[in-house]
Amino acid sequence: MKSKSKMLSAPYTIWMTIFIIVPVILVGYFAFTDKQGTFTLQNIIQVGEYSNVFIRSIWLGALATAISLVLGYPLAYIISQRTEKMQNVMIMLVMLPMWMNFLLRTYSWMTLLENNGIINNLLASVGLPRVQMINTAGAVVLGMVYNYIPYMILPLYNVLNKIDNSVIEAAQDLGADRRSVFLKVIIPMSMPGIISGITMVFVPAVSTFIISKMLGGGANLLIGDLIDMQFLGSAYNPNLGSAISLVLMVIILICMGIMNQFDDGENTGGMLL
Amino acid sequence: MTHSIISLKNISVSYDGEQVLKGFNLDIHDGEFVTLLGPSGCGKTTVLRTIAGFVTPEAGDVFFNETKINDLPPHKRELNTIFQKYALFPHLNVYDNIAFGMRIKRKKESEVKKTVVELLELVNLSGYAHRGIAQLSGGQQQRVAIARALANEPKILLLDEPLGALDLKLRKDMQVQLKEIQQQTGITFIFVTHDQEEALSMSDTVVVMDGGEIQQIGTPIDIYNEPKNAFVADFIGESNILDGLMLEDFKVRFAGHLFPCLDKGFSKNTPVDVVIRPEDITFVPQDASHIKGEVTNVTFKGVHYEIIVDVDGFKWMIQSTAYQAIGEKIGLSILPDAIHVMEKSDYSGTFGDYSTFSDEMEEDMILEEEAELEDENEV
Repeated sequence: MKSKSKMLSAPYTIWMTIFIIVPVILVGYFAFTDKQGTFTLQNIIQVGEYSNVFIRSIWLGALATAISLVLGYPLAYIISQRTEKMQNVMIMLVMLPMWMNFLLRTYSWMTLLENNGIINNLLASVGLPRVQMINTAGAVVLGMVYNYIPYMILPLYNVLNKIDNSVIEAAQDLGADRRSVFLKVIIPMSMPGIISGITMVFVPAVSTFIISKMLGGGANLLIGDLIDMQFLGSAYNPNLGSAISLVLMVIILICMGIMNQFDDGENTGGMLL
Repeated sequence: MTHSIISLKNISVSYDGEQVLKGFNLDIHDGEFVTLLGPSGCGKTTVLRTIAGFVTPEAGDVFFNETKINDLPPHKRELNTIFQKYALFPHLNVYDNIAFGMRIKRKKESEVKKTVVELLELVNLSGYAHRGIAQLSGGQQQRVAIARALANEPKILLLDEPLGALDLKLRKDMQVQLKEIQQQTGITFIFVTHDQEEALSMSDTVVVMDGGEIQQIGTPIDIYNEPKNAFVADFIGESNILDGLMLEDFKVRFAGHLFPCLDKGFSKNTPVDVVIRPEDITFVPQDASHIKGEVTNVTFKGVHYEIIVDVDGFKWMIQSTAYQAIGEKIGLSILPDAIHVMEKSDYSGTFGDYSTFSDEMEEDMILEEEAELEDENEV
């Protein structure tokens, strides 16, 4: 029995080894060696020079996550209160943009936000001044929220949908008005969804590079762009790139560790990664 | 008589166009243990939810201590509910579940603690205060739900089939415990169940419901001994229900013979339903009785045998400690005080003999017979 299940899991084990474990080891190897392959801490030390990029990435990522939560929670709640048929339609609408290519979606925001883009032309046509939107931090956050909010809504909807109506009635029965029901029952019970929503938005947002490149211009360089430059760009230095990746990975792990402290220790398994 | 703590006047409720309650009236007195008893779909839970405020009636009024509370939301009503599936808060432990209502009412934490400790003792769960809800058994969760509902010191406790999910022994313990709590606290209990034994053993007053209407209200003894119609007679306990004719006071004719009885007040020659409880029938030799039949089935029930006797096609149920073999020819003796005469109602003819125990089985058997007949016709 045991050997059979081992055999069945073999493809996954091999897959994980080749495509997850080996790359992580390689990243670690490059991060701690120089171009000649000798051990050095120079790369890690050099990462410190980019601390402003790290701070900006985490700040913008956190901002985008917070906005996604504030926008996504009410929507997920509204969806969960509809009839089952309506729920399916609404969930499909939430996922609909994801059917389109990520790059294409971000390009379309460029045409909307550009100085001579659709929104500014519209403003000009009614006699309002043009607004600088593209190449701002705001545009980057907008891009992040737009692209990642479905990852916030789906887990939230999942937990909210599972809350038994009789539990809410029980709270009302015990004297809780709508506000107390929401604050003392619905929010605490949806905590697992909040945690996984935050994780699923924050992690890709903090390490994105396309969004910042296309909507943020040169002034809003993020960690993702920095890493991109070390491997494919002008500043070619895979060793430094690996070191930056490694530091980013550690930072994300720490953030997630802190997040999971808010969850009562239930349902934490599998939520981290 | 004490005053009515709850008064339902002409309540009408329908779900998705289906009328569940129509012109429903009920008065419940302070300190009573009232049970709403009926089969599933009879509207008993809707009555409870109307009192709790979760269902808004389309017509009619709900009075609480003579004040109209139609528009009062559930959280402002001075009553608490014990839900069918307990509906405990899974994110809170036992202590915090019980404390929930008091904290909403902003009671002092020292007071909250005192009450929670008392309630845990009342439901025999001292020492479980810091357990998670998921770690408790069904019976323990049930008791937490009771403690949680009592914590707000409600005037009325509504119980929606609270013992349905428990096993038999635990159920009996909880029945005793609930009854004790009710007597100690003096709180009015409104209890919903489809279990007639539970209703009879716990209540001061039983309200038998079917089809959104009250069939009978009375003490458990009245309900059992003097059922008002064939539905009540059939639903509460076992009954042999026969077509009869009330010839004059104290004389009723059924099963082809004239019997002396204790009933009176019917006009002459009124068609009636006659109820005879299975435990009130005794076996006699065939030549000593008018009712002669053949034993077709015997089931051992522990305390007694349940014996089905076929008398000219009508299957009687008799409960007796005396064993009778299948196929035995036997006479039935019925004394005057065993005969209960009821007026005819919409239910007459729907219940009666013991060819089957449930309506569902009976319908299926009729369908099966019809199908067989059709098959034969085709051949």
